[in-house]
Amino acid sequence: MPRRKPGTLLPLETKILEVALSTLRSGQTTFHGFGLAQTMREQSGSRSLTAHGTLYKALSRLEEFGLLTSHWEDAEAAAERRPRRRLYELTGEGARVAERALAEKAVAPRSCAASEPT
Amino acid sequence: MTPERMAELVARWVRFYTRDLPVEIAQRRVEEIDADLHDHVAHERANGSGISNRRIALGILSRMVRGVAADAAWRGRQAKVSAHRSTLEGTMKTTRTLYRSAVRVGLGVALILSLPLVAMQMTDEAVWSLADFVLAGVLLTTIGIALELAVRKAGNLATAICLAALGVAAAVLGQADDAPGLVLLGLLLIASACALGVRTGQRSR
Repeated sequence: MPRRKPGTLLPLETKILEVALSTLRSGQTTFHGFGLAQTMREQSGSRSLTAHGTLYKALSRLEEFGLLTSHWEDAEAAAERRPRRRLYELTGEGARVAERALAEKAVAPRSCAASEPT
Repeated sequence: MTPERMAELVARWVRFYTRDLPVEIAQRRVEEIDADLHDHVAHERANGSGISNRRIALGILSRMVRGVAADAAWRGRQAKVSAHRSTLEGTMKTTRTLYRSAVRVGLGVALILSLPLVAMQMTDEAVWSLADFVLAGVLLTTIGIALELAVRKAGNLATAICLAALGVAAAVLGQADDAPGLVLLGLLLIASACALGVRTGQRSR
């Protein structure tokens, strides 16, 4: 994983914000860990899903930065008889950062494509 | 190996690297990965037409192995944060304890010094000057602080016995010299020794 420069996001974190923004634009306000990994796999055309440790570490960092918030889902899990999911939501600041990242990517698409999630 | 067995293995790994972390942090990570593993298996079975159980299990294993370094880094960071938090709590606790000790000593000194003050209002036999009050106040405060330190820091039976011996000696000497102040000091030391002995007994239980 690349070393973090102060005040910057890692490529995976930027990618997560972009996926979160596209999820929001599609009308879904929240997303969960596996759903996110699955979407990123589809978008990147990769065969493997992002590793657990890498994914949840990045999510917790984004939450610390105030770019995401999270909460446990309520009754759906019990109704479907599966473990409850932690649902993440993009904050206003997170949406702004994601929009900026997408705009930068549109200007210089090659510079951002260099790093893929592990 | 079946996907369920592999998911169990991953869950064990998660429980291993979240051990000794604050419960709410560890629990959150454990539950989150449990949900992810469940969703992973369910998704591959529902959408991966013809994908074998072995392949699903290998996919889960691959996700775990590739994330081990990040898991270790996350654990290190969480441990550091919680250690910092407990240091802060420890400092706050020490400040609170010091404040309580100061209040206890202050009240004790004031109570003892009020005795000659009241006696001066009632009889002419007790005549204390301002210097006497200051001297007695300093003496009593020193004894109070020493006792507080003894109770908090040492807190052992040997200290209690030493204090009791000093108290008895002071009381006996005070009676021999007809010095009520020295007798009072001796009684105070004996009372403190008793209190210290009780606290030491409670701690050792």
